[in-house]
Amino acid sequence: MSAPDELFCWEGDWGLPSVDTDCLTILAYAKFAGAPLKVHKISNPWRSPSGSLPALRTSKGEVLSRPSDIIIHLRKQKYNADYDLSAREGADTLAFTSLLEEKLLPALMYTFWMECKNYVEVTRRWYAEHMPFPLSLFLPGRMQAGQLERLSLARGHNALEAGEELEKELYHDAVECMNLLSQRLGANKFFFGDSPSSLDAFVFGHLAPLLKAKLPNGKLQQQLKSLDNLTHFCSNILLLYFPTDGRENLSHKASSQAEGGDFDHVPNKRRKQILSALVAVGAMLAYALFTGILSIQHVHQRAIESSPGLPADEEEEEEED
Amino acid sequence: MSLAAEAFVSQIAAAEPWPENATLYQPLKDDQILLSDCASSLAVQTYLRMCGLPVQVACKANAEYMSPSGKVPFVHVGNHVVSELGPIVQFTKAKGHSLSDGLDDVQRAEMKAYMELVHNMLLTAELYVQWCDDSTATEISRPRYSSPYSWPLNHILAYQKQWDVRRKMKAIGWGGKTLEQVYEDVSQCCQALSQRLGTQPYFFNKHPTELDALVFGHLFTILTTQLTSSELAERIRRCSNLLAFCKHIEHTYFKDKST
Repeated sequence: MSAPDELFCWEGDWGLPSVDTDCLTILAYAKFAGAPLKVHKISNPWRSPSGSLPALRTSKGEVLSRPSDIIIHLRKQKYNADYDLSAREGADTLAFTSLLEEKLLPALMYTFWMECKNYVEVTRRWYAEHMPFPLSLFLPGRMQAGQLERLSLARGHNALEAGEELEKELYHDAVECMNLLSQRLGANKFFFGDSPSSLDAFVFGHLAPLLKAKLPNGKLQQQLKSLDNLTHFCSNILLLYFPTDGRENLSHKASSQAEGGDFDHVPNKRRKQILSALVAVGAMLAYALFTGILSIQHVHQRAIESSPGLPADEEEEEEED
Repeated sequence: MSLAAEAFVSQIAAAEPWPENATLYQPLKDDQILLSDCASSLAVQTYLRMCGLPVQVACKANAEYMSPSGKVPFVHVGNHVVSELGPIVQFTKAKGHSLSDGLDDVQRAEMKAYMELVHNMLLTAELYVQWCDDSTATEISRPRYSSPYSWPLNHILAYQKQWDVRRKMKAIGWGGKTLEQVYEDVSQCCQALSQRLGTQPYFFNKHPTELDALVFGHLFTILTTQLTSSELAERIRRCSNLLAFCKHIEHTYFKDKST
């Protein structure tokens, strides 16, 4: 082991170390297990060795992209957060991870990628603003298409339309799943006692983005916020394992708020308004002159003098047709 | 089934008792049915037997197209048609038959989680072996699936089904897996189930739940079905308590049929 493994993942925002569920899961697991990863937080998936995020480049040059593969790889390197678990607890981990994937993940995909308002105002905007220019034009749309295909295939219907009915069904499952998790967690600090395990990483990865994103349509978010122990569980992990991300975010919250409101807050507003009005008037005048709607005639001084009877204010003549 | 319809059904269902002529539909047992459908069907039958609800099994070549969700099996009870184990469990619950009432909140959460584990790993692995392993797909799945249809429809339908399943595998990230990795997943799943079961007769001690029905349906079908390779069954045989569990349930609920 000469060089440490390198992890490529999405940048963080909203007080999270990363905005993506899979990236968050791996980051959390690596922290829990104490794995020394060299983390590259990027916002250009084409710069990752696999072309998608997250990706782990191992010291041998292998590239892994599925979260479960990455966790298995870390486990083989002796960075195991599940070392203390009994076999029965290991079995529970597997079962609850399946529960998350089958019940909660489809609803999360719907909330972030299919619900119109959330997608346009939060998801697409975040990815488009963070990606470099030409990618930001088409990659968010392509990511959405991928998510939609996955959602429709997972549900087994070919035609999938965003609507009341689909939303109700997905949210019903998701709320049930969150209730089950909340009941399983109870008053514990983590799912299996006092130290975190891979299940905690998975649950954190799925719930934290939902908890922290500022979604305009926050039905599912409200449900999560009403479950106090799960909310507390997420903020506790953030506080204990990602203290810098939380603080960084607080400090540049003010600046990001100013940036965030780009549409309403433009510096030198008055000057820009006057300038743009002048440019517009200039352009209109130029157009009028060039096409001959407006013409300026110079009447010679001599001509005026020779015909003193004419009024002097006929210097400019406007013709309209 | 939509949620609104579900709520409506459960209101009406509560009023009527379970009829004598309830019917469960599945594809043809000898020539057509595939491992995954057979397992789901057996799970539902086991569940209904555990509840003590009588049901007749009807084999139809077009069962898949009769089902409201496109998945088999489905039951026809009075005026209602309900498909798949999850909705059927809710439906019987509305009629006052439930196996999981004695569980506390944490146990119910665990039961749901393990049921998803079976769906997520065992069922997906069955589908993978059936349609993504070339030798199984050519020798068993495609000929059986299309047996009721004549040329050229049989080829069209079989390839269409295979194409659908492969797309689904790709979407959930199983596309790049090898057969060996899938067997490894099955082992992992069986070990988890075996750990959870321990030495108890059922997953939640003395009383059977829908989880027991689901696990029995899948394990028993894998153990008793001939595939091109017996690897899948071998992986299950390594967990001796699961074998005993299957024998015990077969003995308790299918005594009359066990010839």
